[in-house]
Amino acid sequence: MNLRKLLRIARWEVTKNAGGVDKRTIAIMGLAVVAMVAVAAVAVAGGASGLDSGLYRVGIEESSPYYAPAADDPAFLVREPSTLAVARGNQELRFEGTELRNRPVTQKEKAALGEFRSSVDSYNSRQMASEDNQTAAYPVAVSLVYLEQRGVTDTVQTSDRQSSSDGSSGSASGDGSTDGSGSNGSDRTGGSTGATPTGSDGGTASGGLSGLGAGLTGGAASGTPSDIQPPFPFESLVLAFLFIVPMNFVIQAYGSTMLSERLNRRGELLLVSPVSRFDIIAGKTVPYLLGAMGVITAITLGLRLSGLTAGGGPVAILAVMPLALLFLSATFCGAMFARSFKELTFVTVTVTVSLTSYAFVPAIFTDVTPIALISPLTIVVRDLQGQAISLTDFAFSTTPPTLTALVLFGLGAGLYREEDMFTQRALPLKMLDALSGRIKSKWSALKLSALLLPFVFVAELAAVALLFALGEVSIPLVLVAVVVIEEIAKSIHLYAGFASGRYRRSLRAAVAVGALSGLGFFLAEKFVAIIQLVQLDDINTGEAAFITGTPPDGVSPLLVTLLLLAPLALHAVTAMVSSLGARRNRRSYAVAVLLAMGIHFAYNYTVVVTLVQ
Amino acid sequence: MIDARDLRKEYGDFVAVEGSTFSVDQGEVFGVIGPNGAGKTTTLKMLSGLLEPTGGEVSVAGYDVTDTEMRQQLGFLPEASPLYEEMTPKSYLRFFADLYDVPESVATERMHDTLDELELEHRDRKLGDMSKGMKRKVAIARSLINDPDVLLYDEPASGLDPLTTNYVIEFTQQLAEEGKTIVFSAHNLYHVETICDRVAIMNEGRIVARGDLDELQDEYGQREYHVYTTVEVPDAVQENGHWRRVVDSMDGVDSVREAATERGGGVLDIRTEESSLEEVFLNVAESETPGTRYVEDA
Repeated sequence: MNLRKLLRIARWEVTKNAGGVDKRTIAIMGLAVVAMVAVAAVAVAGGASGLDSGLYRVGIEESSPYYAPAADDPAFLVREPSTLAVARGNQELRFEGTELRNRPVTQKEKAALGEFRSSVDSYNSRQMASEDNQTAAYPVAVSLVYLEQRGVTDTVQTSDRQSSSDGSSGSASGDGSTDGSGSNGSDRTGGSTGATPTGSDGGTASGGLSGLGAGLTGGAASGTPSDIQPPFPFESLVLAFLFIVPMNFVIQAYGSTMLSERLNRRGELLLVSPVSRFDIIAGKTVPYLLGAMGVITAITLGLRLSGLTAGGGPVAILAVMPLALLFLSATFCGAMFARSFKELTFVTVTVTVSLTSYAFVPAIFTDVTPIALISPLTIVVRDLQGQAISLTDFAFSTTPPTLTALVLFGLGAGLYREEDMFTQRALPLKMLDALSGRIKSKWSALKLSALLLPFVFVAELAAVALLFALGEVSIPLVLVAVVVIEEIAKSIHLYAGFASGRYRRSLRAAVAVGALSGLGFFLAEKFVAIIQLVQLDDINTGEAAFITGTPPDGVSPLLVTLLLLAPLALHAVTAMVSSLGARRNRRSYAVAVLLAMGIHFAYNYTVVVTLVQ
Repeated sequence: MIDARDLRKEYGDFVAVEGSTFSVDQGEVFGVIGPNGAGKTTTLKMLSGLLEPTGGEVSVAGYDVTDTEMRQQLGFLPEASPLYEEMTPKSYLRFFADLYDVPESVATERMHDTLDELELEHRDRKLGDMSKGMKRKVAIARSLINDPDVLLYDEPASGLDPLTTNYVIEFTQQLAEEGKTIVFSAHNLYHVETICDRVAIMNEGRIVARGDLDELQDEYGQREYHVYTTVEVPDAVQENGHWRRVVDSMDGVDSVREAATERGGGVLDIRTEESSLEEVFLNVAESETPGTRYVEDA
């Protein structure tokens, strides 16, 4: 790769596209952004009260104790009580003193009463919170500590560790004074005691986002037992959202520029110029990667400098880079496969939805479950919250998407050539081309199986993330997903090799490449051991997916050795079965892969049932 | 300068080019003609390194075509003019000059010289707003921005109006006179006949005939001798007070001369008329067993 030429292409990519957007468009886009920010600011400043402002009309005398709660709630228009007004439908509620004098009949009257009760409760809570003597306001203080979800058996055991690690283990002060230690400062402690969460003891954010989250979700730092609600990870949601949104805009522009190289053969002349296709791809990708990272850096700095988050720095920015690469690589690969802008739209929507699900959804549960670590955004959220990030956590979150991105770029680069870029070949044929282009000898079977492991890893993690909440039924479902993913990954390139004529269709060749594919997969699979470092296998579903269970006590070393080598035999045998089918034709391949999946499932099920403790 | 041996290109089961062997000397203009789907464009793309040959060997300017250094010596003009339409001619040419490591001052001078020669104005107008002819001129200028030794021009006048077509052909002829090695593919055989030193005729992926125009005419064309006599001879027609007899060999000419002498007259004039390249091409294309009749060995 020639860095000088790569940068030239990158520079011209920026210049070229900058020339395609006129000043008027830029001005309109700028105005749209300003308008969006302004609307968001107004919405945040005004809270959620704007929509139902003055919705209900209530008749209350000023002397009534209910006057103040009603007057404080913008949902109510307070008027003099009038029987006639109620009869005409101009007042939903009419009070005399503390007595409701009309029976709610209509839906609106019933809704008004419900809202009124809530308003009175909120008013009372505010009054209590503003009391100087909190002991008098809340004679009994209960400290609530929300724990990360762990395996059922070790929840209690890990509670101490968890409490101390996040610093939220403060206890209610016996004298009722507000030392603030009962809260970690986030909305996680919605029902805990202590009137004013300091958030400083645990190092987590006490900034505007957590406060906003508490306000919107009904969480409060203190209140009556009826106010206690499970914490909603609002802060994680907002932070993850902020970092995922820019990616979706960047890939639209990137996918468009990559596809436009293919339409009308515009990229043909670059291919015939004295630069390699890798320079071209990298040169055209770098501006978009830098653009995405620039936006992410600005967001991180903005959050940090505005005090909305307690942390946020290089770790958060670096953690986003694999995600940006993953978005770009998936889009690039899709743009290489797409035959028109219509298909590209489908591709970008698919990329957006699937990668957003992969990155965004787990990150929402940053503080809830360790599975959240499968997303690099979890690292981002944790860093923004001021939590310490271990190197193993960082590696666990960022390595799979990085490797997957590299493989996707590699696959796409396989299609970045005259034969594939400018033809309207069917997608399956292009996929086979992308794979067969990497086949040079029988050893390519080993290499490709290993290279496809990041796909397998990410797909299996996503399966775990999607299925772990289903309880007992999740384990067989995960087993099925794993079997399907792994058998396809081990065999699809073998089929591509036979279909393209790169492998001879002999029995001997089929057995050889099948065995090599199984070996490659086995070796690469050992990298999955990294999951041990973050104890993801504490969760039964994770254990089912990655089969990391330890043998029971009393098992002989010979058996242990055999068990360690059994996966090698499994992968080799199943890959050979698929290979034998692939050497004949597509239908035989499909049948053989199904057979291989059956063998694999039987093996996994046996291992899980007998060994997983 | 160009050496191709037994070139072969397969797309799955389809063989686009098979067994193509030819060489092009420095400064030579080599034409490739043939019907649609004959394999002309595929051959040019293999020469440019765009397509990887399935079999055979090809080198350009001493480099293997997979070597990116080879592309430094090459100017390729594809049949269409795929340009970045949001760029101007100047920015577009500077971009490619940059890729070819042409110093900025040299690139600027070369760009203006070439565009002047091509009589292209509106150099700051976006390419997307230009006519097809203007775009073609920009594409030609791009193919010359690195001052290449070898030019591969695929249908350079395709789809252009007659005026622009003549301009492009004359410009290509001028490049040939400057000593560029050019491989030129065209449907218009008159253009090929005008500027090419040698020609390869392709059909169904194979070179079915190859040589200079004289050799091709000898092999596949017809040469007619129109013998004008002062007296009537057998099979002659009267024309403007003379008699004209058409024969296809010098022996025929001799026999007409003898006949005229016997009748007390003589030969007034002998004119030679040869088949055009188009007629040669049609003869080759209509041949029942194409593919093996080489005029010269590689």
